[in-house]
Amino acid sequence: MSVVVVGAGLAGLTAATGLAARGVEVTVLEARDRVGGRTRGIEVEPGGWVDAGAAYLGDRHTALIALMGELGLRTTPATVAGDSRFALGDGELTRPGRFPPLSAVALGEMFDALDELVRTVGADAPWASADATRLDTLTAAEWAREHLRHPDARLFFPLFLGEMMAADPADVSVLHMAFYLRSGGGIRYLNAFEGGAQEHRIAGGAHRLCERLAAGPGIRVYLNEPVRAIHQDDDGVTVTTRAGSLRADAVVVAVPPSLADTIDHGPALPAPRSTERTAPGCAVKVHLVYPAPVWREHGLSGWSVSARGPLLSTVDDSPADGTVGVLTGFVTGGEAHRFARLGEGERRERAVAQAARLFPGLPPPIGFHVTDWIGEDYSRGCYAALFGPGDWPRLGPHLTAPHRRVHWAGTETSVEFFGLMEGAVRSGHRAAEEIIATYRRRDVHA
Amino acid sequence: MDVEDLSDIFRRVLENDGVRADSDFFVMGGDSLLATRVLSAVARACGVELDFDDFLEAPTPEALCKKIASLT
Repeated sequence: MSVVVVGAGLAGLTAATGLAARGVEVTVLEARDRVGGRTRGIEVEPGGWVDAGAAYLGDRHTALIALMGELGLRTTPATVAGDSRFALGDGELTRPGRFPPLSAVALGEMFDALDELVRTVGADAPWASADATRLDTLTAAEWAREHLRHPDARLFFPLFLGEMMAADPADVSVLHMAFYLRSGGGIRYLNAFEGGAQEHRIAGGAHRLCERLAAGPGIRVYLNEPVRAIHQDDDGVTVTTRAGSLRADAVVVAVPPSLADTIDHGPALPAPRSTERTAPGCAVKVHLVYPAPVWREHGLSGWSVSARGPLLSTVDDSPADGTVGVLTGFVTGGEAHRFARLGEGERRERAVAQAARLFPGLPPPIGFHVTDWIGEDYSRGCYAALFGPGDWPRLGPHLTAPHRRVHWAGTETSVEFFGLMEGAVRSGHRAAEEIIATYRRRDVHA
Repeated sequence: MDVEDLSDIFRRVLENDGVRADSDFFVMGGDSLLATRVLSAVARACGVELDFDDFLEAPTPEALCKKIASLT
C-alpha cells in the first residue's frame, strides 16, 4: 500500500513515520526547500541554534516527549533566573519574578472571567457547547470591551492573548479563544513556564524533530514540490505537483487550513478547511544576538513585557552550551502586521532600540534575525490558524473527517493542544491510525 | 475574613483540599496567575484590594488574614 503525505512539518512527518513503521510505502511532498514547517532553526553561532518558530513544551505534551525519546532528543530548561523588565506605562521598571506592575485584583478578575469561559466550552466539539452560538458571534475584542472594566485588565488582555495564541483579539471568536485556552490545558498551564507549557525547549532546536523524522527509514521526502491537485477515483488518488504526478492509495494533507484550500480537490471537498473569517496566527519572532547574555550580569532574566511594540515580550533564548546571548522578541497580534510592513532597516532599528531601553548596558547586536510567519507563503501564519466568528460551526465537524481517501493532519486538526507541537504530533498519529485501520481491512479482503 | 475563609479560597484556586492555615500558596503549586485569582476572590469577599507584593509577603491563609486585618 502507498500513501502520499502533503507537508513535511511535524504533523506530516509524524504520520509518515507511523505509516512507514507499518510497512506502508510513504512519499512526502514538501513545498519549501526544507522540512520542518512551523519549526525552523537559526544557527546563531557554530553549533548554537535558536528556534525561529515553535519552541516550547511542557510535561503534559506526552506525545511530543515520547517522540523526542524515540529520536534521541533532550529537553533544555526554558527559564532563566533573575528579575523582569516591564514597560507598561511611562518608562521601564525592574521587578522580581514575572508579575507585571498592574492591579493584581483586576488581572485576577480577568482570569476569573476567562476561566469561567474556558469551562463552558466542550473540549471535543467546541461548536456543540451549550453556549456555542452566542460565543461564536462575538469577537474576543468585543468580549473584552464588555467584560473588562479596569484599565489594567484592558491593557493586559491583548498582551495575554498575543502570547497565548498570537491573536489580535479582533480576529478570533470568543468560542475559539475559550476552546484554544482549554485545548492547551487551561489558562494556568498554557501561561506558565515552570510547571506549564513553556517549561522546556528542545536541546539543539525544535527543527531537529523534523530533520530526524525525515531521515528515518522508509520515508522519501521531495522538497520544492508544492501540491496543486489531489484527484480521487475508484482505485486511488493522483497527486499533482509542478513536476508531475504520483499515484497512491491514500493521502494525508498536513498543511494549515488555508493552504489546504488552495489545493484543487476532485471531487470537491464537502466543506472548506477555512473561511474568509479565518485569520493567520500573527507572530513575528525577532532574535537579537549579543556577544554574551549581559543582562544576566545585571540580575535580569531577559524576560520583559511591553505595552508598545515592536517587542511585546522578550525572553532569554541563549543556546545552553554556547557563549552568545540571544534575546528573542515576540511581535504578536496587530503589532505583528505593523512590524511586518516595515522595511528591513527600520525593523532592526526599532527592535534594537527597544531592547537597549529594556536592558541597559547592551552592546550593539552581532546578529539580527526576523522571522515573519504571516508572510511565509507555505505557513500563512503561526502559531496556528485563528478561527473567527462563524468558523467553528462551519469547520469543526469536518476538521478530522476524511474526504474519501484524503485524510487530514496538522495542529489545527487536533482538539487536544491545538496550535502547539503536541497537537501536530497527535494529529499525525491519528491520521496514520485512520489509514492503517481503513486500508489494512481492505487489503485483507483483497 | 477569617483564616478558614481564606483557606477555602486557596483550596478552590489551587484545586487542592490539602491546604491548611500555614500552607504556603507557592509551595502548594500556586503561581502568579493563580495568585491574582486569590486576590480577586479576597476583593469580592471583603472589599480589600491587595497587590501582588502583599501576597508574596503573606502567602499563607494565616499570614494573609493578618495582612487583611491590618488594612481594615
